[in-house]
Amino acid sequence: MYCPRKSRCAILAHDGEIDPMKLNQLIVLVLSLLSAGQSFGAKMAIPADAPASYDAECASCHMAYPPGLLSAKSWENLMGNLGKHFGTDASVDPKMQTEITQWLIKNAATRQKYAEVAPENRITKTSWFIRKHDEVRAEVWKRASVKSPANCGACHTDAAKGSFSESNIKIPAK
Amino acid sequence: MIKTVLVILAFTTTGVVGAATPPELLKTYEAQSGKASSVRGEQFFNSKHGKEWSCASCHENPPNHDTKHIVTGKVIKPLAPVANPTRFTDDAKVEKWFKRNCNDVLGRECTAQEKADVLSWLMTVK
Repeated sequence: MYCPRKSRCAILAHDGEIDPMKLNQLIVLVLSLLSAGQSFGAKMAIPADAPASYDAECASCHMAYPPGLLSAKSWENLMGNLGKHFGTDASVDPKMQTEITQWLIKNAATRQKYAEVAPENRITKTSWFIRKHDEVRAEVWKRASVKSPANCGACHTDAAKGSFSESNIKIPAK
Repeated sequence: MIKTVLVILAFTTTGVVGAATPPELLKTYEAQSGKASSVRGEQFFNSKHGKEWSCASCHENPPNHDTKHIVTGKVIKPLAPVANPTRFTDDAKVEKWFKRNCNDVLGRECTAQEKADVLSWLMTVK
């Protein structure tokens, strides 16, 4: 096998044959990277220590979004302006506001991919969200059963369980 | 003065803080304003008040079944006590939602009279 640079051909033994031991290690490495990528991208369960107020105060109007979908800074900005929350008054009492904010920040996105400060504090305006949904036509977002990009569960059938896997997508016809 | 006493009485006679019944809450709001009108309450519920939404935009009329939030599509449980016995049983929760939703629909908080009217109508919904 042709190998122009030795450093790039670590998998090859000195005689140019593939070293079965190294090949095994490489396969394990690739598989573990793939599964890690999948669990990060597709699995976003709500941490078990969510305060009851998160469900009562936030998830009465929209799905309980996994905190890992926004950066700490974005959550902080959003929680500081609940009186004007995307066109509605979502104000909560100060005690609950502190409790929810702290929990969101503690569990906020940390990986660089998700950790940008979201434009308008919207998950749906982050660059990763836009890139992931770039094949969805404008007309699909407007369908009666979808209504808004904020309605994850319209297409991601297991969104409520924090699963956004590609295999669990069903785009409604209307 | 008498009204204030009545209000305090209405809240304290509910026993546990926060716990209430729809008729008790109605009495409280009437004590702060005047006699409720369910006819006025239904009109208020259906009206857009010169803005974009009415109460019925999310709760529908009659609000005796699961409905969907007009923006997010999230399911909202029935508002009428007949279809959802947990409604209007927690005064803090009731006040929180009147504040939020009146700001959304009217761009201001609702008066005690408006709350009394709407609640009295909701109590008649079958």
